Amino acid sequence: MYKIVTKRELVPHINLFEFEAKEVAEKAKPGQFVILRIDETGERIPLTIAGADVGKGTITVVCHEVGKTTKKLGALRAGDSILDLAGPLGKPAKIENFGTVLCVGGGVMIAPLYYQAKALHEAGNKIIGVIGARTANQLIYEEEMRQVCDELYVATDDGTKGYKGLDFLKDLLKERKIDRAIVLGSIITMKLVSEFTRPHGIPTIVNLVPIMVDGMGMCGACRVTVGGKTMFACVNGPDFDGHQVDFEELMARLKMYTAQEKLAFVFYEKGERSS
Amino acid sequence: MKKGGEELRIGVFVCHCGFNIGGVVDVPAVVEYARTLPGVVYAKDHLYMCSPGGLALIKESIKKYNLNRVVVASCTPATHEPLFREACEEAGLNKYLFEMVNIREQCSWVHMHQPKEATEKAKDLVRMAVAKASYLEPQMEPELEIKPSALVIGGGIAGMTASMSLARQGFTVHLVEKESELGGMLRYLYKLYPTGRDAAELLRETVAAVKANPRIRLHMSALVREVKGFFGNFDVTLQRRGSDETEQIKVGTIIVATGAEAFKPTGMYGYGEYENVITQLELEQLLRKGALKKPEKVVMIQCVGAREKTGPRTYCSRTCCMAALNNALLLKEMYPNVEVTILFRDIQTYGEYEDFYLKARENFVQFIRYDQDNPPVVTESNGKLTVKVYDLYSNAEIELKSDLVVLSTPLVQHEAGRQLAPILKVPLGSDEFFFEAHPKLRPVDFSSEGIYVCGTAHGPKDVTESIAQAYAAATRAAIPMAVRTVKAEAVKASVDPEICVGCGACAVSCIFSAIELLPFGQPHIVEANCKGCGVCSAECPMGAMQLLHFKDQQIVAAVEALLKPKKLKGVSEKFEPIIVCFACKWCSYAAADLAGVSRIQYPPNIRIIRVPCSGRVDVLHVLKAFLNGADGVIITGCLIGDCHYIDGNLKAKSRVEVMKDSLQALGINPERLEIGFASSSEGQKFAMMMTNFVERIRKLGPNPYRLEKKREEEAKVV
Repeated sequence: MYKIVTKRELVPHINLFEFEAKEVAEKAKPGQFVILRIDETGERIPLTIAGADVGKGTITVVCHEVGKTTKKLGALRAGDSILDLAGPLGKPAKIENFGTVLCVGGGVMIAPLYYQAKALHEAGNKIIGVIGARTANQLIYEEEMRQVCDELYVATDDGTKGYKGLDFLKDLLKERKIDRAIVLGSIITMKLVSEFTRPHGIPTIVNLVPIMVDGMGMCGACRVTVGGKTMFACVNGPDFDGHQVDFEELMARLKMYTAQEKLAFVFYEKGERSS
Repeated sequence: MKKGGEELRIGVFVCHCGFNIGGVVDVPAVVEYARTLPGVVYAKDHLYMCSPGGLALIKESIKKYNLNRVVVASCTPATHEPLFREACEEAGLNKYLFEMVNIREQCSWVHMHQPKEATEKAKDLVRMAVAKASYLEPQMEPELEIKPSALVIGGGIAGMTASMSLARQGFTVHLVEKESELGGMLRYLYKLYPTGRDAAELLRETVAAVKANPRIRLHMSALVREVKGFFGNFDVTLQRRGSDETEQIKVGTIIVATGAEAFKPTGMYGYGEYENVITQLELEQLLRKGALKKPEKVVMIQCVGAREKTGPRTYCSRTCCMAALNNALLLKEMYPNVEVTILFRDIQTYGEYEDFYLKARENFVQFIRYDQDNPPVVTESNGKLTVKVYDLYSNAEIELKSDLVVLSTPLVQHEAGRQLAPILKVPLGSDEFFFEAHPKLRPVDFSSEGIYVCGTAHGPKDVTESIAQAYAAATRAAIPMAVRTVKAEAVKASVDPEICVGCGACAVSCIFSAIELLPFGQPHIVEANCKGCGVCSAECPMGAMQLLHFKDQQIVAAVEALLKPKKLKGVSEKFEPIIVCFACKWCSYAAADLAGVSRIQYPPNIRIIRVPCSGRVDVLHVLKAFLNGADGVIITGCLIGDCHYIDGNLKAKSRVEVMKDSLQALGINPERLEIGFASSSEGQKFAMMMTNFVERIRKLGPNPYRLEKKREEEAKVV
């Protein structure tokens, strides 16, 4: 059992959790993820690590309530426990002094982006941060990001905060010399930013979290096509070259089980009669 | 009764339709019942609600009683909804505040000998419609302006014919051809059947006319690179082949006339290996150039690479039998002593083309029928060809010496066509040809509005048929361009950003590219592309995406209104199944109408809820039906392949499969859920489906959730 030490609602439907997981905390590196399960009949969900505290023996994840499991998780409180938490999984992100790094984060993924940006900042990089959400009241981690970024830009899809959309990034890329870009966010965010950086030849790393089951390269559920080759996000990634990823396929694969997911969610909302 | 701050004032109008409804259904009882329903302030019957008197009654009542919702219980909305909606508008009521109930095709005509049950059903349907009407919202229909110019892609006979037709009607035409000259396939043909006219002559005349027309702008050696915008206002980027040079044009409509190419049968029957094995098209080119060396023994093999058992070429290419017969006769005419043998699987000379077959026989063209599983074999030795064929009529192997083997190969989609489809966001069928919106209702339209198809881009056709279809496509494109504006449907997707989590399921599910994801995942609805199928609503895991006029709330209101009063007091009570049918408004609803018109009787246990597409039916709707006690739920859609939204019915089918797996967990037998498909001409089949389903449910007994005790337990859990 893994105890929830802290639970905080950052914005409606996005929750931060600190789990007591000493062994995971000791090994966790930015870019890696954990797979957790609430109870015995629960679904296994991958969550990208947003922080680790070796002293306290805790790891941080931030989770958006988007279906049955994440809603169930969101209903838990500090002091509650979940059945299991496996990790850290996947390869850690490359942290070294690249020069100037553009860090783009969208939605709930700004939290794990912060974990990486902080490490990159400490490694001596100049950090240009871009964070965004669909709308102003969904934006998280702005203050945290400000602390580790030399410059920080904020954007929303509806223009309720900062820039409207990401088109401003095109100009930014023309004006600045950027040595590396990392993008954590929804598939559309990663796809779009990769398209923007491509003509400038900026190495662009995206962090993919497709549907996963075991997270150890056995099941093949997290197949992604990168540069025409089939890769497993869990063991070959989760970081990949954004200019090589087949995002269309990734999107289609992510939506393979929408009917099942919706059904589980509707049942759950009806009073948890089936799992 | 209030909904959203506004007091509901619903008027219910029940039609006798002479004796058609009134002869079976107790109309006064339905009216009396309607008056008791929540929100109803006025209810009245009329002998013919669609008559001037009936319409006047509706209009006057709207004003007199200040009605803000209108429900008409009469015949099918397929024919009469526009009329009643118009009456509402004339009385100042937004037409989307109108709801229609079909108590003729669904009650009196299909339960003619069960007046009591038919009346009960009519009451249920009225109650459901009133419940849905309570949640209806007014909608605006945006007007789109249509630019009076067209893009015609492809300069073959179809594209040139369509361009000429549009230009003569006064529209500007941009004709784009990927090659450096016009003509397409016509440049390779010899004599056209059935007239025997020179293809070269037709080509010369047509090209001259196209070039001389000042309204046609030619874009030669050009490709369509990008199409943005929507019906009436497409922004098209053209690119000159082999250069980066691009040009932007703006058009209102687009016609796809990109043609096809002949299948290259490399590796089949020695093609590509033996010099004297050629295709039918190559034979025509030789004849056209006068370059054919006089042959003595010609063997033609039909269906080479066509009508295959699997793969994209399972189709009959339609033109090859006639091309072979035509060329065989031409050879006979040129060289009376030439022996021509046609190896065929079936000769398909439809219509008057049968004359060619008879004429070929009269002229001693030999026909040998071969077996697909034991096809002919072509070998060569010392430059002489030998064809071995097993003749199905004489049950013997025959060996034919030959100096020319001609292979009839099918027309197939070309690479340029395959590349164009995603640019236009229009579908290709399993045969890889462009796929029309509906084979009968919209045969030259794509389901995306403002884009049309003609010629062999759409499937194999001869020149005659391509020309006819080109005129059809030009006419279809001309209608909106002549009218200059069209009213767009108001039934469109709409997203609640407060509920949306930005997962993108809606965008992935939309086959019309009507949902774009903004950079951080917020869906943006491209209204001009939205067809109103509602697939995205059903796919949205959060209920954030809703189809206007068919929102979850509106559909669930109808479901609950039907079922809530229907609980059984105990197991011993006589059981009559209550079944909810979600019927798509196209074929399956039309099939139910046809069952009615044909007076095909089926059990009165079905209550139809009309939805735009079976793909709109959400797991939530089905679950609500079962948890409120429906004994069975059946979803009906168009036949597979005939969906008016391309694949909504397939999505519904896979959703039903998923739901079946999960119903068991709720203690509901998965057999209580079904999906069926019917075309609009299958009234009999629809009635059979309903009869069989009612029988199945009758055997299964009541849904446990319909028993009052069980319902109470469930109410406690929830």
